[in-house]
Amino acid sequence: MKGIFLRTTGLIMTGLIIANLFVVISGIFISDQINNFEKKTDSLHKINLSLEKKVASLGSLKFATEQAKEYGFTNSTAPQYIDQLKFAYR
Amino acid sequence: MKIKFIFLLFIAFYFIIIVRLFFLQVIFSPASRSEYLKTNKLYPVRGRIYDKNNQSLVLNQNSYQLYVEPKKVLDQDNLLNSLSKSLEIEEATISAKLNMSKDWVAIAGGLTQEQKDKIDKLNLKGIGFDYQTKRFYPEASLSAHILGFLGKDNQGEDIGHLGLEGFYDRDLRGLSGFIETERDVAGRPILIGVQQRVEAEDGRDLILTIDKNVQEINKKRLIQGLEKYQAKKGCVITVDPKTMAILGLTCLPDYDIEKYYLFDENFYKNLAISDLYEPGSVFKPLIVAAALEEKKIKPNDTYNETGQVAVGEYNIKTWDDKYEGKISMTRILEKSSNVGMVYIGQKLGNNMIFNYIDKYGFGQNTGIDLEGEAGGFIKPEKNWYLIDYATATFGQGIAVTPIQMIRAFASIINGGNLMKPYVVQKIVSENKITEIKPKIERKVISKMTSDIIRKMLVSTVENAEVKWDQPKGISIGGKTGTAQVAIKGVYDASKTVASFIGFAPAEDPKFLTFVVLFEPKTSQWGSETAAPLFFEIAKDLIVYYNISPSN
Repeated sequence: MKGIFLRTTGLIMTGLIIANLFVVISGIFISDQINNFEKKTDSLHKINLSLEKKVASLGSLKFATEQAKEYGFTNSTAPQYIDQLKFAYR
Repeated sequence: MKIKFIFLLFIAFYFIIIVRLFFLQVIFSPASRSEYLKTNKLYPVRGRIYDKNNQSLVLNQNSYQLYVEPKKVLDQDNLLNSLSKSLEIEEATISAKLNMSKDWVAIAGGLTQEQKDKIDKLNLKGIGFDYQTKRFYPEASLSAHILGFLGKDNQGEDIGHLGLEGFYDRDLRGLSGFIETERDVAGRPILIGVQQRVEAEDGRDLILTIDKNVQEINKKRLIQGLEKYQAKKGCVITVDPKTMAILGLTCLPDYDIEKYYLFDENFYKNLAISDLYEPGSVFKPLIVAAALEEKKIKPNDTYNETGQVAVGEYNIKTWDDKYEGKISMTRILEKSSNVGMVYIGQKLGNNMIFNYIDKYGFGQNTGIDLEGEAGGFIKPEKNWYLIDYATATFGQGIAVTPIQMIRAFASIINGGNLMKPYVVQKIVSENKITEIKPKIERKVISKMTSDIIRKMLVSTVENAEVKWDQPKGISIGGKTGTAQVAIKGVYDASKTVASFIGFAPAEDPKFLTFVVLFEPKTSQWGSETAAPLFFEIAKDLIVYYNISPSN
């Protein structure tokens, strides 16, 4: 009788230790994952902003004007002298 | 025996754990919860601003603040030298900021990702970066006055100033959130510990009525106009006259929106909504419309224009002091006759002149959704002299803003509705789109009067004293204005405000554009400066809107 009780207690203890180890290791693993996801989210957010900026820049009138000038689509205009600058010409 | 040994072994292990925990939690306990409980503010993303075609005008971009922890710096000379080269800032400037007695010193803000990467590669000890966002303007300063800018308040928090950034600051700003988590030494969340997260609510995006192509046309032409006519400053406003949705609004001089802090605050002033001036003859159609509405005149009624008209001790004359004899009411507008307007004013009556000035909304804020509007001032009627009523009929002696002027003019060509001008048509949040509808403030004149005055204004352009290079086949209505500028109570004949307000196509106006040039030097007349500039803009807009010739 005593032997059965001791074996059962031993088995339960072993089971609990294994379960405890499993929970702790899983916890660390999930925490790591959360940490990685947070970093990835931050990184994606930054990439997203950077891409949004790039798309907007490429679709802007400012870029189109620069390209038109570069490829000679516009007539050359009178020079703009910076020392007489009275306003911001974009 | 074996069992006892294992049992004792367990007891020993547990004892070691308990002793270790005692040391960790009691002897070397963290000074405060903050060492393991991390609370971070979650910053909302500020709302973006788009034009009416959903083209970006203001976005957010990644930015970094470079800081130094002086106590961790190993080689100060190398640090100063390297940062100076990378940031292109003088060593002395960085050195002045670098207080070695402090734990943390901010060196430079607004760094781009490329600048950060470049500094990272130097592997300098004792430096770090804080992530921030800053505004990005794909079209640069195209709409500086409309957009406003983002500055800092006393607490160092972002705050919008002027224009839309100022007016819609609360919508754009959003709400901060926070995250509170218990973290282990490696920064990983402890799952059984405190985990609380309140998400930030991002700022709302604004969709404008502004069309960046119209804005580009306005600004490009205004820059050319200011140079050509050597004017001190100027504005071009283009609206949809039926709704008073602002399609383009530009005033010069303006400022570089990304480097606003380099400009004097006078440059921040949006002349279109805050500068008071005497409108001159562009005001005349408003009085004519009022007289038509009150049935005091008809377009073909005649007036005998024989010479100067005395009002009290003053003599009113035409701009060229020439008189045509019997002329119609339409002709009074065509030749912009001041004496003819005094006649119409007398027919309308002094009280009605004052009432209509009030009805057209002068002296009051228009309510446009831009920060910095000035309402102007119309003195109480009891303080008006006879000469005030006479000069008011041709737009002298009263002070208005360009936005008030274009709003009142829109009301006489759109069927008689005085509309509230607006710049934002939609406010977009994560789960809601709020549409801002055109708002009729009041009915000023009837549709019939509006139809009549529109035709009179077409005739004014067709039979004006000066012939302009008009687009063929498109009927355009409008009126010139040349107002003298009062300096210390005396009108200086050499200084004028030249303007032109016009619309096309006249049968069903697609746009109404107001051009104002302050103190042009090549000619003092609106007909020789603002009007040609208007027709240049109108030609571009007619092509842009694909308006086909009607005759």
